[in-house]
Amino acid sequence: MKPFIHLSDVSMLYGNNGTIAAALRSVSLAIDAGEYVVITGESGAGKSTLLTVLGGLQVPTSGAVSIKGVDLSALSADRLADFRRETIGFVFQAYHLLPYLTARENVMVPMSPLRAGAREKAERADTLLCSVGLCGKEDRLPSELSGGECQRVAIARALIHDPPVLLADEPTGNLDSATGEQILDLFSELHRSGKTVLMVTHNRANLSRATRSIRLRDGLVAEDGPLMAPYQAL
Amino acid sequence: MNIRKLAWKNLFRRKSRAVFTGLGIFLGIGTFVAIVSLTARMEQAVQDKLDRFGANILVVPRTEELRLGFGDISLGGAQVAHARLTMADRKAIRSIELSERLRSVVPFFLTAADASGKDLVWMGLPEREIAMARPWWKMSGAPIRERGEVILGSEAAAALDKGPGGTVTSGGRKFRVAGVLQPTGEKEDGMVIADLGEVQALGKNPAGVTFFEVAALCKDCPVEDIVGQIGEALPGARVSAIRQVVESRKAAVDQFRRLGMGVSAIVLAIGGLMVFVTVMGSVQERTKEIGVLRAVGFRRRAILSLLFWETGWVSLLSSILGALAGLAAAMLASPLFGIEKAGVALSPALLGVAIGMGLGLLGTVPPARRAAALSPTEAIRSL
Ligand SMILES: Nc1ncnc2c1ncn2[C@@H]1O[C@H](COP(=O)(O)OP(=O)(O)O)[C@@H](O)[C@H]1O
Ligand SMILES: [Mg+2]
Repeated sequence: MKPFIHLSDVSMLYGNNGTIAAALRSVSLAIDAGEYVVITGESGAGKSTLLTVLGGLQVPTSGAVSIKGVDLSALSADRLADFRRETIGFVFQAYHLLPYLTARENVMVPMSPLRAGAREKAERADTLLCSVGLCGKEDRLPSELSGGECQRVAIARALIHDPPVLLADEPTGNLDSATGEQILDLFSELHRSGKTVLMVTHNRANLSRATRSIRLRDGLVAEDGPLMAPYQAL
Repeated sequence: MNIRKLAWKNLFRRKSRAVFTGLGIFLGIGTFVAIVSLTARMEQAVQDKLDRFGANILVVPRTEELRLGFGDISLGGAQVAHARLTMADRKAIRSIELSERLRSVVPFFLTAADASGKDLVWMGLPEREIAMARPWWKMSGAPIRERGEVILGSEAAAALDKGPGGTVTSGGRKFRVAGVLQPTGEKEDGMVIADLGEVQALGKNPAGVTFFEVAALCKDCPVEDIVGQIGEALPGARVSAIRQVVESRKAAVDQFRRLGMGVSAIVLAIGGLMVFVTVMGSVQERTKEIGVLRAVGFRRRAILSLLFWETGWVSLLSSILGALAGLAAAMLASPLFGIEKAGVALSPALLGVAIGMGLGLLGTVPPARRAAALSPTEAIRSL
């Protein structure tokens, strides 16, 4: 049986007018459902590239990526978009909320191409916003929310389709450490509820929450090992 | 939240951009609608004139000396007496290939004859066809209703000192004056008008015809072809279209229309370009946003429809406003172009809105394609 998430010999090359940079070099990884993986490494080591390849945002130059037994390279662009929507939730360092939409509307955005009652969508968004601790702030614009609150909105947005996998690229990078902790608590909670979490981070303190740590260097996996029992910090 | 609403909200976020996008369409459609409705009205006015002229083809004998022009009839008695056309020629005209385009073929017979001791020109035409052949005649008294009645041109009436109810004698016969024409400015002001048969009898030429006035059913009828066919049917006759005045007016309208269309085309092209440029700019500005939408599962089609909805809203609003402005402008400008009755024509406005929508959507095609082709990694790469 194939692992939940499987990368075999994945390489990602970027060509920049003549020069070719290898962001990933023959990376092979197997990640099981329910793992909480932190990915660390120097800037430029290939962490973000790894996430985009994992999330089906880009197709690797060579190698294969499969999630839940689905080979991503076999999917058409549309099927890949559908796959992302159903399977993967993205959380970005810069939140990437749409500034002209309220918190509720931002959470509903991934549903907007879908046929569903407006009422239904809004109710689902409100439930999620409450679950990330934003009860009563549904109608605020991002400019009326703090950084931590914006990131909570972004997490709620990532959860709108209840995806089994969460990919987060330095989600606490723009937050002060206390707020960052709260966001990490939220991720821990989601992990406990059964999500598979892959998080890129600079912060070694995160290691106490994860089940596995992968360290990248120059596009290669430099370290990969299990961590101590999670949730000790809680 | 759906794509339509998302597009709508996005517009409000970038109001000035939306206004700029719409401005091009607004101006283009406004110009277009104004010009189209103006020319439509001018054409209508010209068409009304054409219809009032009634006849548009004149058939005269091929006689060098006899010059019969519409509105310029000069008569030498001898030549008129030798009119070479006859009533039989009417049938020949009626049997041309394009005969179904002929609304009427009216024979006229002119002769110089005595009228109560004065030598006047008598003009005969079938009494029943007077109203159709000379619809612009205004008269005091009544039109001819029975044999033995005549109408006097205003000058003839003055010369004879007769009015409605009076009598005119000629060739030993008495004619009752049914009506007197108000001055027309034409030669008929000096004539006595009576039924064709009676004037033919006075001229002792029972089947004689001086000229035929032919009215072709015309909006864009092939007058030249009809003229040619009548010429073939009557080799001894000179056939000419008598629409020069109207035609030249029509040509002026055509020219104005062409100029207007040219201006509209340019303004519309600029409008389309403005849409293209602003939407392209918006796509560039929103690379990250589009990447995020792709990352959260928007298909390319969803990105396309987002952008098309955005310009769709703008195009719809601005072309409706443009069409209204164009109608208003046409209304205000109508008097300047000699158009009296200025009703609101809806079809140019509807056409304008359709074109505005088309233009907006067309201008969005290249930027939308570009947006849809953006890689979803753009969102993450910017970190
Ligand atoms: N779209 C791209 N085009 C060219 N080079 C890229 C692109 N994305 C990433 N890279 C390069 O690939 C390498 C890995 O980048 P990245 O995955 O963003 O690293 P990290 O997230 O660990 O900082 C870097 O050298 C970066 O410059
Ligand atoms: Mg990175």
